[in-house]
Amino acid sequence: MTAAVGGREPGRLATALGSPALRMVGKRALMAIPIVLGASILTFWVLSLIPGGAAQQLLGADATAEQIAALEQRLGLDQPGPVRYLQWLGGAVTGDLGNSVVSGQPVTPVLGARLAVTGQLVGMAFLISLGLAVPVALLAAHRPNHLFDRISMLVSITGLSVANYVLALLLVLVLAVQFTVFPAIGFVPMSESVAGNLQSLTLPAVAIAFPLFCFYTRFLRGDLVDQMQGEDYITTARAKGIGPWQVLVRHALRNSAFGLITVVGLNLGTLIGATVIIEQIFALPGLGQLLLQAINTRDFVVVQACVVVFAVIAVLANLVADLLYAVLDPRIRYGSR
Amino acid sequence: MRRRHHLPALLLAAALVLAGCGGAADGGALDGPATPSGPPQSGGELTVLEDGAFAGGWPTGLDPATNTTGGANVTQMSAIYGGLFRLEADDDGANAAVVPHQAESTEIADEGRTVRITLREGLTFSDGTPFDAEAVAFNFRRAVDAPCTCSPNWPLAQDGIATDGPRTVVLRFERPYAAVINAMPVTNVNWIASPTALQEKGEDAFAIEPVGAGPFTVVSNQLSSELVLERNPDYFKEGRPYLDRLTFQSIGGDQPAYQALLAGQAQAYEGLTTTPLLDQARSQGRLSVAVQPATSPYVVQLNTKAAPFDDPRAREAIYAATDFDAIAQGLFGGEFPVSQSFTGPGGLFHSDAVPGYTGHDPERARALVGELGGLEVELGTLGSYVAQQVMTALQTQWQEAGITVRTETYELSTLVQEFNSGNWQSMLQTAGSWDPASGVGVNFRFNADSPFSGVADPELDALFDQAAASVDPAERQELYDAAGARIAEQHYAPFGLAFAPANLAAPGVYGPGLTTLIPPIVVNSGVHWDEVWREPQQ
Repeated sequence: MTAAVGGREPGRLATALGSPALRMVGKRALMAIPIVLGASILTFWVLSLIPGGAAQQLLGADATAEQIAALEQRLGLDQPGPVRYLQWLGGAVTGDLGNSVVSGQPVTPVLGARLAVTGQLVGMAFLISLGLAVPVALLAAHRPNHLFDRISMLVSITGLSVANYVLALLLVLVLAVQFTVFPAIGFVPMSESVAGNLQSLTLPAVAIAFPLFCFYTRFLRGDLVDQMQGEDYITTARAKGIGPWQVLVRHALRNSAFGLITVVGLNLGTLIGATVIIEQIFALPGLGQLLLQAINTRDFVVVQACVVVFAVIAVLANLVADLLYAVLDPRIRYGSR
Repeated sequence: MRRRHHLPALLLAAALVLAGCGGAADGGALDGPATPSGPPQSGGELTVLEDGAFAGGWPTGLDPATNTTGGANVTQMSAIYGGLFRLEADDDGANAAVVPHQAESTEIADEGRTVRITLREGLTFSDGTPFDAEAVAFNFRRAVDAPCTCSPNWPLAQDGIATDGPRTVVLRFERPYAAVINAMPVTNVNWIASPTALQEKGEDAFAIEPVGAGPFTVVSNQLSSELVLERNPDYFKEGRPYLDRLTFQSIGGDQPAYQALLAGQAQAYEGLTTTPLLDQARSQGRLSVAVQPATSPYVVQLNTKAAPFDDPRAREAIYAATDFDAIAQGLFGGEFPVSQSFTGPGGLFHSDAVPGYTGHDPERARALVGELGGLEVELGTLGSYVAQQVMTALQTQWQEAGITVRTETYELSTLVQEFNSGNWQSMLQTAGSWDPASGVGVNFRFNADSPFSGVADPELDALFDQAAASVDPAERQELYDAAGARIAEQHYAPFGLAFAPANLAAPGVYGPGLTTLIPPIVVNSGVHWDEVWREPQQ
């Protein structure tokens, strides 16, 4: 069967395997290994530098040395750090992220459930921020320094000046306490209610998205104005009689999107950081909340698992950004000079 | 006992921005709409918020023998297990006493060396298995070896845990320990787990879905996030609990919790400590506010084992330079009382005035500092809202007396390192508990053997030991008075603000500890969840 298939379409398969995009994906996948490994080693090392171990954190300030020693023994923390790390790594390479040293629960299913919440939150934040930033930036760049541009600048500067946790509290105060439009806390799974799910994530997503929206708007607007004012291809397009909106949307935006994609890819780390505090405020059972709890209890297995997931997501995000470059500009050929 | 680390400073800043101003009362106080329109009614659901940095964290699960944060999780443990004993009080917090709950009676014999606990008849766990003396003895043996500061410090004799018939457990101690019953509600021996369920499920699974004989049974448990409970139909008290469902939700601190209550997303919050929010809650009048009677005052521990406080004149200078009344009034509007003893006004054996206690006297302080040729001190505390406010005020007062002060805010782990190093000079901490002999209070701060004490005084140790051993309350009062006087005479540690957290509840929610006062037996008050009820929603 395999031979027959191979006999029928050898050229297409060979082409597919040899395609520059696929080669790049493979290369990135290989590069991800040292990145994730490095991140996990660094995390383990940093955790080991923080004073106080899991037993001390769990038992509190008034625990005696005997109580701490007894708990360390029960949790398996009496072994040397490198041994514990290698044990964890041995399991992780086979897909077993281990059991929490604090609760004894297997980490993988817990992580899966939490990732679903955080993934949806981050996805919504991206949609809101980009979905608003692009049209607002286009409108602002269409007539620079006019009223809309100035208003958008004011909003953006305000948004960039307000920390997202303050914004979160203000959103709750207005939209949950005063007007009871959205819930103040909690998460409704999509399996229970689609509307409830979207409602429960709207305020947290907006709290994360708003500063991003402000940043993306200013970034994209600035780039669009530069393109519109200084690039030859814009002058050529105008000379051809193409309307100003079409020039802006079809030509300038396409070029400016490169910078935006790069920034969005790099922003993913910031976004994950924001989920830690936002999930606390809105009592969302996501990855950020889990990570914070794990750091507080020095649960290195859970912290490692979270870091690995974040590292993989960061690598994937940058890979997607690279692939999008090719979609936007077919002249880009990966792996060729 | 894990102490509460407060929310990130960022939330605090936001809390202050959003906070309003309001009135204040002395000591424990009840405010807001907490008058029921009729008798308690059954049914309904309640969502209770708990600060993720304290009671809202149960990372090791809820098995009494493996829950390392049991002292912080008294509320969840009581809802699931009930408790052999519990602290009850009048609605205004007066006449507080530890009374038998699942236990029926106790008998203390041999001058406090033998304790017999008799259980109520016919108790069963929610899995239908018998809650008998063997089950209790099994739990006691697990609990005494548990890795938790909530594990009891029983001076057990050889084979000191035994049964006498199906309903009586007998404890035998090497030396008298009369405070055993008063200490019960804050120790893990109070919560009795079903041995059968433990054996069937295994320890790890049991910690997630524990089985007890309390008013509620576990529906789901997402560690340190959400615990959903439902009514236990086999609960021993007829007609209780009132609620059909009880959910504990962990949340990131006072401000989000307060807003969630106002938004109607939850109906109660335990342990509010951000005083501006307390004022705001009172002034708005939309929630009932129960500021619990303070049992555990702040104390400035002085390390008498090292310079500069190995010199009694330096210690006296600190007493003379400190004005806790001004701090209580200026920073907290007189909300919290000032104590001269190691137990606050809501606790047992509190004395309003300790003989020999030398108070604020700036001139005396300056004279002593001059005599010493100057005084430089380091003052530290754990990072919490109230503690940091008090520490800053102390720094100002001490500097006015000519003392050079360097302050340091510690994380839990670095605080412990400081104590273990023995190099610390002064620490602003809390001391005491409802009964001075229970929990981690007084002994931890003053006993010569404690790593968290700056004092090594055999006379003081003897007084505390005798007081813990005595079965006579009058004798205990006398001994604790003597201990208080000894601390004052030697200027070991000035006591101060007796702070207690508040519980908030939405209109139409009532219950002991939630909308009435019960002294916090260590940190938070023990709410009686089986008695909590909710008026039907319109």
